[in-house]
Amino acid sequence: MRAPHISGFAFAGALLLGAGCGKKDDAADVIPPPPAATVAFRVTSVDLGKSITADKMIANSTDDFAPGDTVYVSVATEGSSPGAAIKARFTFQDGQLVDESTQTVAPTGPARTEFHIVKPSGWPEGKYKVEITVDGALAGSKDFEVKRG
Amino acid sequence: MAADKKVPDFSDVRSGSSSTAPGSTPAPTSRRTYTVVAGDSLSKIAKRSFGDPNRWRAIFELNKDIIKNPDLIYPGQVLTLPDA
Repeated sequence: MRAPHISGFAFAGALLLGAGCGKKDDAADVIPPPPAATVAFRVTSVDLGKSITADKMIANSTDDFAPGDTVYVSVATEGSSPGAAIKARFTFQDGQLVDESTQTVAPTGPARTEFHIVKPSGWPEGKYKVEITVDGALAGSKDFEVKRG
Repeated sequence: MAADKKVPDFSDVRSGSSSTAPGSTPAPTSRRTYTVVAGDSLSKIAKRSFGDPNRWRAIFELNKDIIKNPDLIYPGQVLTLPDA
């Protein structure tokens, strides 16, 4: 006779506890907003072309250029940074440095940064590479070629 | 020597950059560079790059970390050029 008595008591206790838990859940119905998402600053794409739009996007993507062309590289980024140094380093096929430029940006969201190079006397034919680094770390690269039309 | 003449000269390359990012600054560290080839002298580089051989001293001043003697430069050295 003792066992059923204990079981009944335990059952009543469980009901009380359950009711208490239900009450607690009701009070927690208001879900706190998630912490603001912070997107780490990073390069999402590197594009090459002969011209850019006003918002720094490549108008006509290509990796084939003529000696008289201006070479544009558009670097798309996302995330925010108080100051990120984006560098474009252009090299010729023999490893010779053609040009390097750095743009320091402080974006708060998606952004585009463009670099361009031009050679008034005409680009020598051959293969070139542009490497994009952010604060010294390689973030992307593109190969392109200069050929006579 | 004939092979030396095939080394491309990128000293007249012009570059620029801009960004849609707020708070961005114009490329303050953008610098033209020149790679020395056989037969070069600072005055030759100055004449070719600026049309004025007398600007050799400005090139020397900017590259004192790699040029100890302005009469001695070596093929393959990458020199930073002053603003035009």
